[in-house]
Amino acid sequence: MRRYVIVGSGAAGISAIETIRKLDPSGEITLISDEMHNYYSRPGLAYYLTGELAEEYLFPFSRNDFKNLKLCHLQARVVSINPDEHQVWLNTGKSLIYDRLLIAVGASAVGLNIPGDNLAGVVKLDNLDDARQIIRLARKARAAIVVGGGITALEIVEGLLARGVRTHFLLRGETYWSNVLDRVESGIVLHRLQEEGVKIHFNTEIEKILGNRGKVAGVQTRDGRRLACEILAYAIGVRPRIELAQASSLKTNRGILVDSRLCTSAADIFAAGDVAEVYDPLSGKSVIDSLWGPARDQGRIAGANMAGVAAHYSKPIPFNVTRLANLTTMIIGTVGKGMDKDLVGIARGDSETWRRLPEAIAAQSDFDVNRLRILVGQRNLLGAIVMGDQSLSKALQDLIVNQVDISAIRDRLLQAGAPLANLVTDLYLKVREKDARPVY
Amino acid sequence: MNIKKFFRQDSVRRAALVQGFVVPDTSRCVQCGICSYNCPINIDVRRHAWLGIPVKDSHCLTCGECVARCPRGVLSFERTNLFAEQADVSGEA
Repeated sequence: MRRYVIVGSGAAGISAIETIRKLDPSGEITLISDEMHNYYSRPGLAYYLTGELAEEYLFPFSRNDFKNLKLCHLQARVVSINPDEHQVWLNTGKSLIYDRLLIAVGASAVGLNIPGDNLAGVVKLDNLDDARQIIRLARKARAAIVVGGGITALEIVEGLLARGVRTHFLLRGETYWSNVLDRVESGIVLHRLQEEGVKIHFNTEIEKILGNRGKVAGVQTRDGRRLACEILAYAIGVRPRIELAQASSLKTNRGILVDSRLCTSAADIFAAGDVAEVYDPLSGKSVIDSLWGPARDQGRIAGANMAGVAAHYSKPIPFNVTRLANLTTMIIGTVGKGMDKDLVGIARGDSETWRRLPEAIAAQSDFDVNRLRILVGQRNLLGAIVMGDQSLSKALQDLIVNQVDISAIRDRLLQAGAPLANLVTDLYLKVREKDARPVY
Repeated sequence: MNIKKFFRQDSVRRAALVQGFVVPDTSRCVQCGICSYNCPINIDVRRHAWLGIPVKDSHCLTCGECVARCPRGVLSFERTNLFAEQADVSGEA
């Protein structure tokens, strides 16, 4: 009987367990996690913060679902791994022998590292406990300051706003999430936030956090201003939790380096999810995706390999749908350009592929709050951002993922004021007709 | 908007609701649970989205709450075509 040890109860870990159980009904699976709570939807925390969701709905699995997976759940932290002996040591003093080990411990928020960051009221949004803390603080707080440039920062802003806290949003530059959004898209998001009552401070950095009796009382900015607040939330990027792998002499870069089987440099040890840095044969580079979908896929591939069924991970075209200032936004393929002042490394819900400089020309159309930006390559579409109305998103997803030849419409797409939506729809319908694939 | 147009829009909407069932796009789903939370008759819509199966539960009211509330556009209505001949909604719009 094979012994599987899974470290981490996030999307990748659970997906691996589901796969292993399917392929090996009698294997012994042990799940080790330092998370107090069972498997929950991390992206759902944003909606828990805004009050659109009750806490008990964050948990997708019922007690029965866990029972069916027949696993042993230990709430503990792995302190070291001995790859030669196939043994893991826990903080409780216990040790376990594994035949196959999966590290899926995810990533955690990068710290602020400024004076005063240890005061009560300085918060992040990594897990359910953090969300609970923000909600608790928001009950009494009058003002809050949010620092950061990615999805998580915006989630916190919207959560605090929904709870009636006067919110300041601090940006180091002049745009929001410049890795991915262009100036117009960033402008749409920020304008909508301002209309909701958020005070946005551009080109503003915090010098130190001011405290009063151990609690946050405000901040002092680099340009000498003082802003009062009771909550200071930060989301300036995430860092894969690789300390355990480093201490166990596994090969790491920014994440744990894995091959296409998601196997690390040590035999029988696998890694998946936000912590894994996966080799992408297409670009010849190792990249980190901090997205829910790839985490699930990686968990599945790692699980199959652990159970003895060979499977290889090929990096899919990055795809995410999120809500920015109440606008549903689809981001797919390559869309961005370079470094973001507000982010250290990668943001949650982000893919490094987004910010490769594409050899492409952007075709754009915007009206009211709906906006469409398509990155047009030589032969096919490379990426797209659809904000607001999502009726085109399915067509674009199909055209981009399947790398459909666009030479028939390319010239017209690039003309100024081109009817992008019509051109894309016509091409999509033509392709669909040819393939006769069923589409909803 | 005149009153006639208002009622026509509403009847088109209702016809679409009656004729459809909720279909998920699993690749967009992050299992947040807003769909299940907002279902007035407690159908576990999230599980359907997760497994990639349409909500064909006979109790489903096709009220559209889950479709409207999903922040990631996972859910949409698909026609069943049961009443395709009696009322072609696309023609009325």
